[in-house]
Amino acid sequence: MGPLVPQEIIGASWNLFIAFGIGIGFGFVLEQAGFSSSRKLAGMFYGYDTVVLKVFFTGAITAMLGLLFFSLFGWIDLSLIYVNPTFIWSAIVGGIIMGAGFIIGGFCPGTSVCAAAIGKIDAMVFIGGIVLGIFFFAEGYPLLKDFYMAGSFGPIKVSDVLGISGGVMAFLVIIAALVMFKLGELAEKKWPREEY
Amino acid sequence: MSIRNLIFIGLFLLGMVIAMVPENTTKPYKLTAEDMLIEVQGAAEMVDADEVAHWIISKDPSLQLIDVRSPDEYQTYHLDGAINIPLSVILKDEYLDYLDQGIKMNVLYSNGTMNSHQSWMILRQLGFENNYVLQGGLNYWFDTIMNPQAPSVYSPNEEFAKYDFRKAASGALGGGGVVAMSAPAKTKADKPKVIRKKKKKAPAGGC
Amino acid sequence: MKTTYMNPYLAGVLLGLVLLMAFFFSGRGLGASGAVKSVVVSAVDIVAPEHTANSAYYSKYVGEGKSPMKSWLVFEMIGVLVGGFLSGALSGRLKWKVEHFPGITANRRLIFAAMGGILFGFGSQLGRGCTSGSALSGMASLSVAGFVSMMAIFGTAFVLAYFLRKNWI
Repeated sequence: MGPLVPQEIIGASWNLFIAFGIGIGFGFVLEQAGFSSSRKLAGMFYGYDTVVLKVFFTGAITAMLGLLFFSLFGWIDLSLIYVNPTFIWSAIVGGIIMGAGFIIGGFCPGTSVCAAAIGKIDAMVFIGGIVLGIFFFAEGYPLLKDFYMAGSFGPIKVSDVLGISGGVMAFLVIIAALVMFKLGELAEKKWPREEY
Repeated sequence: MSIRNLIFIGLFLLGMVIAMVPENTTKPYKLTAEDMLIEVQGAAEMVDADEVAHWIISKDPSLQLIDVRSPDEYQTYHLDGAINIPLSVILKDEYLDYLDQGIKMNVLYSNGTMNSHQSWMILRQLGFENNYVLQGGLNYWFDTIMNPQAPSVYSPNEEFAKYDFRKAASGALGGGGVVAMSAPAKTKADKPKVIRKKKKKAPAGGC
Repeated sequence: MKTTYMNPYLAGVLLGLVLLMAFFFSGRGLGASGAVKSVVVSAVDIVAPEHTANSAYYSKYVGEGKSPMKSWLVFEMIGVLVGGFLSGALSGRLKWKVEHFPGITANRRLIFAAMGGILFGFGSQLGRGCTSGSALSGMASLSVAGFVSMMAIFGTAFVLAYFLRKNWI
C-alpha cells in the first residue's frame, strides 16, 4: 500500500532517484504543453492563450481523483500524504507577491527551469531573480518571522472545512473547472494570436 | 470523439463516481496470518501478575495499565493508574495515541484473559507494538497477589519467595491484610523492551 | 516557424499522473522554489558559514549532518531540466533566445524577467510554496493553503494584467 517510501516498502535511499525520475516526467510534460514559453503563460491573463488554466486544473483534478480512487481501492494511505499546512496570512500575501511576479516576469519557478532547459535566456534571468528574492527573504527573516508564523491552522483540507467528503469536493472542483475551460475557449476565440 | 471531449466526459464521470461512493475508512491489517500465528505461539505478549505487581510498586514510569472492560466495571474497581479503553471502542481514533505508541508498555487486562487477549490480537494485527496482556486478568490478580495463599511446606523455595513477594506487594497495593515486609524480593522478570516506534515520518513536502 | 504543442487537456492528464506518482511513491507532491532555496542556502553557507549558523532562517537547513542539496526537490528540479531539454529536443524547440512580445525590446523583457523573479523568489518563501508546490500539489491534496495560494496568485496576476499589458499584447 502506498505511499511506498514512507511505508518503507521501498527504501528511503531510492527517494532521491524517484524524485529525479518524477522531475523528468514533470519537465517533459510542461515543455510539451508549452509552459516553456512566457508568452503562452502570460496569455492566460489576456485571454489569448488559456493553456495554463487547462493544464493546471486538469492536472490538479487528475491527481485529486487519482488519490481518491487509490484510497478507495486500498492502494494508498491518505493519512500519510503530505498536506501543506495553512498559514493563512503568509499564504495570501505570499500569493499576491507571487501573482505580481508571475505577470511581471512571465514565469513561475518550475516553468522557468523548464524554459531555461531549452535555451530561453529570459527564463535564466528569471531564475537569477528568484535567487535574489529568496536571499532577500532569508536576510529579512527576523523582521518577517512573526507575520510568517501567523494564522497557523495546520494541514487543514477544504473538504473538512466545508464538511463534505473528498469525493464531493473533487466533483465540485471538476464542475468549476469545466465551466472555466469553456470560458477559456471562448476567450481564445475572441482574442486570437498566432503561435509563437 | 476528440481527446478534449473524451477527457471532459471522463473527468465528469469519474467525479460523479467518487462523489457518490462512500470513503474507504477501513484500517488495514499490517501483519499477515502467518506472522500472527508465529507471534501467538511465542506468547511473548503475556506478562504475569508478579511482574506487573513489581512494576506498580517500583512506580515504573513506562508502565501503562489499560482496562478493556466496560466503563461500569472500571468504575467499580480498577487497578491503580489504569485507564479505561473498552474493547468495543478500541478502534476509535481518540485512543490511537495510547495504543499505537513507542514510549510506554501497555498492559491490557480484563477479568480473565479472554477479552484482554482479544484486544491484543486486534492491536497487534494493526501493527501496533508495546502492548501486553496480563495473564489471568483480575481474577488471577486477586487470588495470587491480593490474597496470596501460603504454599504448602513441600513447595520449593521459589514458591516461598513468590509468596513473600506477594504478601508484601498486596500490602503495598491495598490487598487483604498481611504483614508488610521491607522491599519485596526482586523478581527475575526481564522487563520487555519498549519498542521505540519509528515515528512514521509523514513526509516533508512543499517548498 | 510554427511549433506544435501537445493538446493541453492531454498534457494536464499526464501532469496529473506524474503528480500522482510523486504522491504514491514519495508521499509528497511536486515543487520548485524549494530547490532554488536549497541552492541559495548552500551558496551562502559556503561563503559565510558563521552567518548561516547564526541566522534563524538558514540554520534550519545547515549544520551537523544536514546537506541542503541532498533534497527531494533539488533532484526533482535536475530531472525537470533533463525532461524539459528532452522535450524541447524532440520537438525542435531548442534555441537560445530571449522570448518577448515584438512590441518591446529584449532588454526590457529581461529587466522585467529579473524583477518578476525577485518577487516570485520572495513571495514563494513567504507563501511556503510556489504554483507547483503549493497551488498544484496543494489542490490535489485538497489543502486549504493550496486553494488559497492558487486564488491569490492567479487573482493578483489577473488584476495586475491590465497594468502590464504593454509588455505582452
